[in-house]
Amino acid sequence: MATETIEVTGHIVDSLLLAKILDTILEAGCDYEMTDVVIGKTSLDPSSARIVVTGDDDVLGTLLDDLQVHGANRVAQEDATLVDADLDGVLPAGFYSTTNLAGAVRVDGTWVPIENPEMDCGLVVRDGHAETVPMHRIRVGDRVVVGSDGVRVQAPSTARDTQMFEFMASEVSSEKPKALLVARVADRVRAARERGGKVLVVAGPAVVHTGGAPDLARLVDAGWVDVLFAGNGFATHDIESNVLGTSLGVSVAEGVPTEGGHANHLRVINEVRRHGSIAAAVGAGFVTGGVMRACVANDVPFVLGGSIRDDGPLPDVITDTAAAADAMRARLPGVQVAIMLASTLHAIATGNCLPAGVETFCVDINQAVVTKLADRGSHQALGVVTDVGPFVRQLADHLVGAA
Amino acid sequence: MTEPLAWGRRYLMCPPQHFGVLYEINPWMHREVAVDPDTAAAQWEGLAAILRSAGAEVEVMAPHPEVPDLVFTANAGLVNAAPGGGRFVPAHFRHPERQPETPVNAAWFAERGWTVDRLPDDLDHEGAGDALPFTPAGGRTVLLSGYSFRSDASAATELTRLLGCPVRPVQLVDPRLYHLDLTFCPLDDRRAIVAPLGWDAYGRRVVEALVPEPLVLTDDEALSFCANSVVVDRTIVMPATPPRVGRQLEDWGFEVVECRIDEFLKAGGGCRCLTLSLDTVLSPTPPQDDGT
Repeated sequence: MATETIEVTGHIVDSLLLAKILDTILEAGCDYEMTDVVIGKTSLDPSSARIVVTGDDDVLGTLLDDLQVHGANRVAQEDATLVDADLDGVLPAGFYSTTNLAGAVRVDGTWVPIENPEMDCGLVVRDGHAETVPMHRIRVGDRVVVGSDGVRVQAPSTARDTQMFEFMASEVSSEKPKALLVARVADRVRAARERGGKVLVVAGPAVVHTGGAPDLARLVDAGWVDVLFAGNGFATHDIESNVLGTSLGVSVAEGVPTEGGHANHLRVINEVRRHGSIAAAVGAGFVTGGVMRACVANDVPFVLGGSIRDDGPLPDVITDTAAAADAMRARLPGVQVAIMLASTLHAIATGNCLPAGVETFCVDINQAVVTKLADRGSHQALGVVTDVGPFVRQLADHLVGAA
Repeated sequence: MTEPLAWGRRYLMCPPQHFGVLYEINPWMHREVAVDPDTAAAQWEGLAAILRSAGAEVEVMAPHPEVPDLVFTANAGLVNAAPGGGRFVPAHFRHPERQPETPVNAAWFAERGWTVDRLPDDLDHEGAGDALPFTPAGGRTVLLSGYSFRSDASAATELTRLLGCPVRPVQLVDPRLYHLDLTFCPLDDRRAIVAPLGWDAYGRRVVEALVPEPLVLTDDEALSFCANSVVVDRTIVMPATPPRVGRQLEDWGFEVVECRIDEFLKAGGGCRCLTLSLDTVLSPTPPQDDGT
């Protein structure tokens, strides 16, 4: 899909030129959005319209040539303005702030696709390639796009699976038939894998508290998870529940607090730190079950991002948040489905790095999490408002088979 | 009761001394079809005489050996004989064969005190051949402008600025009717001869909205070039008169005069093509000179 902006001026209303141009766009199978329309006040004042046309690359070129006959001209496109960064970690003033949508930058008259769409970054052109670069990774001499000339983004594609989206794209709601939703998410996971895409799971500690960890481990063991993002809490409680049978001191099996249980997670973190890493603790037989063990056993990469309130933390937790975000970015290429399980902060952090083209499902008992994700620009996120434990169990039943 | 056209009492014509089919830029032109210069001259004189006897004044510009189609003065440009200063926008021809006509026409008007405004170089527009005014009773003059074969749709915006009247571009779709003046002939403040064959669906709707009482030509009637006629008050001078069209015009009170100009039809031109109305007022006051 490509996008071009055209402009038409004159007595475009009375002469039906505007209607003709819009009809022609639709007849060619393309779509349009009118961005600026000024209708002349008197019969002498010209009207003008700026129209953003979206369509397949091969169709769009011909269409625009046809439209030129009716006086609709491409808005003059200029190369992007590039300014060299003069300080490490600092973007030049007026830098173009990216969206998570796919797009392209015009360099020397050619549109160069943005390789790794990510929101809230700078746009750097290097050796004929255009990539998003987070502020802290800007280096002196990086050629950074300034202003919005010569940058275009593509409207999100709606072609993926209309039925799915018709079903889910309505308001986030707790009043949707959950079993059907889970089945649809499972379908999307399968479809992504068939296309060769990776599946990312972002997990919060509630997955463990609600008894979902063994089912998530089943999914990892069965090869349905390619990347795991989580924090200290999820990994700790996952290991705690497997080593001591409690999650935050509460028996996972019986749901009652155990004596001295409040320190259970600290004792577990301490032991893993003694081993030096989660992998070492698994290797030594200290951790014999759970999601983290499954990841280690199946070579599924995980990134544990730290936060200021973390106990311990576990030795694998990356406490430098910028470094943690970079580690997450490094795992994103190839991801086509992201499932965010009962995690607010890690879900938002992940959403910040994800291109808009990644199908994103946000499962949370709290409707606000989904809204927050969308408010922060991850408009592609679809919400499933439900208790995460049963959701993961049903998802595993769909993908792995009933336990 | 309809009001006759307020314009069309003064025409510019150019004798066919150098006229001939020397190139082919429309489907009617065939170089192997020779023009008889004597017949052409006689037919041209005949047209001028008919116009004069209908009450019109005819001004004659000197022919030019380099540009045979100068005889088709309708394509010289667009005239706005606004009170307080006439303005002339010379045509920008699409075909290189006719481009040398522009300076000749511009000079003729400039020498006679007209303000000459040029279109931007990248816009084509073939003057009154591709744009004719219609003034509905009680309404303001609208210039209907054809585009696609010879003129650009984008020229409309510029013409509005230069001429001070709304310009409605309609797309011409039949190469045989390559200029607007082969598809449209304003008759008075309610009526016009119209040839829908020449326009796309949008153009037809534009004309429908503009002209309250159109005389709609069939395809065959349209291809007789009968829309390429000259109207002087209640007289209409036609290169051909299909019977139904003639009867309708007479019912409306027009005196129909047929004028043989078939030597010029060999180049795809009719009566209208051989004349340029010099008294067309497009805007009540000359447009403001904005200095650009």
